[in-house]
Amino acid sequence: MKRAAERIARLLFLIAISLGCGLPSFGQPQKAGPFKSSAIQVLQIQSEDVKLPAEFQMSLYENVIEQVDKTKRFQHVYRDGEMSAMNAPDLVTLRCTVTGFTQGSAMARQVTTVAGTTTIAVHMQFTDKDGKRLFENDAKGQVRFFGENLRATYDFGKKVGAVVRENFVTTSPASK
Amino acid sequence: MSKFYRKGTLAILFLSAWAAPSSFAKPQQAPESFQVVHVIGMQGVKQNTKGKVTVSKAGLEFVSGTTKSDVPTASVEDALTGADSQRLIGGTLGKLTILAPYQSGRFLSLFRTKLDTLTVTYRDSGGGIHGAIFTLPEGQAGLLKKQMVAEGAKTSISVEDEASQAANIKKAKEKKQ
Repeated sequence: MKRAAERIARLLFLIAISLGCGLPSFGQPQKAGPFKSSAIQVLQIQSEDVKLPAEFQMSLYENVIEQVDKTKRFQHVYRDGEMSAMNAPDLVTLRCTVTGFTQGSAMARQVTTVAGTTTIAVHMQFTDKDGKRLFENDAKGQVRFFGENLRATYDFGKKVGAVVRENFVTTSPASK
Repeated sequence: MSKFYRKGTLAILFLSAWAAPSSFAKPQQAPESFQVVHVIGMQGVKQNTKGKVTVSKAGLEFVSGTTKSDVPTASVEDALTGADSQRLIGGTLGKLTILAPYQSGRFLSLFRTKLDTLTVTYRDSGGGIHGAIFTLPEGQAGLLKKQMVAEGAKTSISVEDEASQAANIKKAKEKKQ
């Protein structure tokens, strides 16, 4: 009886230590900044190793642009290929590469709740105008319960928005 | 009485047999405009807006009420089709079915309509890349793409290749089941 109590106490102690040590908090945006920049250019989503349907690829790109714009951290959010981006002196470039994709089933999700999750894993890299890496991060876009498969791209866009909010500070037009 | 029924049945069978080939043999004609749902990507158009798309020499035009947006043919870099499905009862009513008793909302999720998707990659006047995604009723995306290609839009995969790819995927899925 005494031994069992000792074991439980030891186990609780180990749990407390592991929590106290601060295990890596998955899903939370990694803080590297704060950086300050007036413009960002979002490049097209790369998925060379992972076969990603065209609609997912473009939806990811559009959602990332929309969510980055919503953060209001930059005065300009440029698209891939925009000529005027070159004129921005402190341009930050965001490259996203798809590292994993599981196309679930909306029907399976809606019927079972636990099955049919759609997941898109993406590695993002923020670089400055000289191509020097500012920071990198991984995020997953998921749709678990309700919504069509493309909603995973919206979820990913929101996560990119959170990463940008965490790592960049707003620049006012006057401070430029 | 039974003779009357037999004659009637025979007449119906004959008529349906006569009518069937004529309706099936017709090649699917491309409509002048396509009913679409704009998912994302068109400039100045809200997400999930229902509207009509027409293809002309000038380009692809999306119209929804007073909202108009167009993509010039020359700026189209790629047009790709895909397949998806959606709940038969969608929108707000579809969401409210979650509250239906005895999990009947889940049961309703089994009833689905097949959809086509069309992804159009294009550049704006500043050189920026956009990706417009539309959903259409099944079988329409290929026709729309065909019209766009006929007017001079670029595509990385031809309509025929995409159709054969889709058929192969369908076969593979059927084999799995």
